[in-house]
Amino acid sequence: MAKPDQIQDAKLRELVADAHGLMRANRPSEAMQGLVAALYRLLEVQPELGTEQLEPRPGWKMHFLSRWPQYGANWKKGSLAAGKPEIEFVRERFALSEAITCYEFLLETAIKRGA
Amino acid sequence: MKFGLFYELQLPKPAGEAQWGPDDERRIYHDMLEQVELADSLGFDYVFEVEHHFLEEYSHSSAPEMVMAALSQRTKHMRLGHGIVLTPPGYNHPARVAERISALDILSNGRVEFGSGESASEMELGGFGVERGLKKAMWEECTREIANMMVQTPYQGFQGEFFDMPPRNVIPKPLQNPHPPLWVAASRRETTMLAARFGMGSLGFGFETPDELAERTNEYYRIVRDECFPIGHAINPGLAVLTTFMMGKTDEEALARSANGPAFFSHSLGYYYNPASGGRHQPGEKNIYDDFLAANERDNTMSARTGFIGEDEIRKGEPKDEVQRALYRAARSGTAVGTVERVRETLKTYEDNHLDVMIFVAQCGDRKHEDIMESIELFGRELLPEFKERHEKDHTKWRAEQLAGVDFPVNSSI
Repeated sequence: MAKPDQIQDAKLRELVADAHGLMRANRPSEAMQGLVAALYRLLEVQPELGTEQLEPRPGWKMHFLSRWPQYGANWKKGSLAAGKPEIEFVRERFALSEAITCYEFLLETAIKRGA
Repeated sequence: MKFGLFYELQLPKPAGEAQWGPDDERRIYHDMLEQVELADSLGFDYVFEVEHHFLEEYSHSSAPEMVMAALSQRTKHMRLGHGIVLTPPGYNHPARVAERISALDILSNGRVEFGSGESASEMELGGFGVERGLKKAMWEECTREIANMMVQTPYQGFQGEFFDMPPRNVIPKPLQNPHPPLWVAASRRETTMLAARFGMGSLGFGFETPDELAERTNEYYRIVRDECFPIGHAINPGLAVLTTFMMGKTDEEALARSANGPAFFSHSLGYYYNPASGGRHQPGEKNIYDDFLAANERDNTMSARTGFIGEDEIRKGEPKDEVQRALYRAARSGTAVGTVERVRETLKTYEDNHLDVMIFVAQCGDRKHEDIMESIELFGRELLPEFKERHEKDHTKWRAEQLAGVDFPVNSSI
């Protein structure tokens, strides 16, 4: 059962729980702002995530963080490659489905990695 | 656990040829009708068909509503599933989707399953001018309004971010009340959980293992109970998973029949969904099957297996990224390939983990129609009855327990 209370870091837990509350209140744009704040906190707690690479196929590498769903809160161009991940908001309004997808990614990543 | 068939309508070009034969497209469409008719007579529960555009060789199924209309007149019992309709308005105007779904529901006497999604291939997004970064928001807005159109008399109209429409009575209305069961295509875990939050069935296109399924099932049903805010007017709790399917009297026969089907499925899917290749596709010119054969020759990573390998061995080589992992698994003959005994044993592991619907990919790559027909027949006669019996006896009870206390209206065929 993946729930915010399984997150170890108190600040990250609070940020994720707040975003969850905003989603439940049907305020997805605000939830997305909160999720990005939580994503930054996750990177503070586990900085190695910022440079972690996946190898989907032999010889083809991709940043783990490129799996973050880029619906408008996107990685700034070149920031992953430079090892300095930075989110850039290309729009302000978000749909509930977008916030939920980012929330699920964040929650699963944080819990699986013991953050 | 219930069972269905899944169709992309794959049509690899003949090796070394620039184009298909003049009868090839007619043949795969008519073969499919025959396969589904047989499955219906044997008691299969579902057929799901995709909507894809311009994905030559990978999927020639661009007008599934036409095929479903034909199937509605050839089948009596099977549920007719759109797996899925592309609902961003650049592909299909929401009112047209509502009209078609409702008309099909009437023609089939209430047997429609309404799956929706967005697609991610550059061929489709670019072909219809759908902006990649907005496609999920478009899907949500349009899918919600399509459900409203099927329910409201008259539809009250809408001014949204992606489409506007004045009040109109969108007719006909579907036979099922309030509307057919809603599903969403889910190739990642995140989307399965999104499905739960929206009260939709999850059409899992990620070739999930029984272990993954166990975790997802628990979490999915927990969210349905505790955190659901339905996108439609009735919820459709359910998890479906895709797997490759081919049977034989011996394992060797099943593997030979399976041929390059799963590997080509994976290769062509990966080709179109990887922007580096799919984004540069030369329409009408490229022969993807030739590429596939060359890749087999070069590194043997996608070739059909000559024998079965254990789960542990498969896991060792798996990519960590979920989409790449799905491609990897899709390429390997596995879950439902083999003899009656082997297929029973492997499917039972999904049944034990409370999977609602298992969907078979039978038609893929260069598999032969007669082999698919024999496999459908073998499964239908030898295995389907016992799974049906356990579904009625055990699974319906388990599912009722999962949904205890849920007070949303439910319209589900599971």
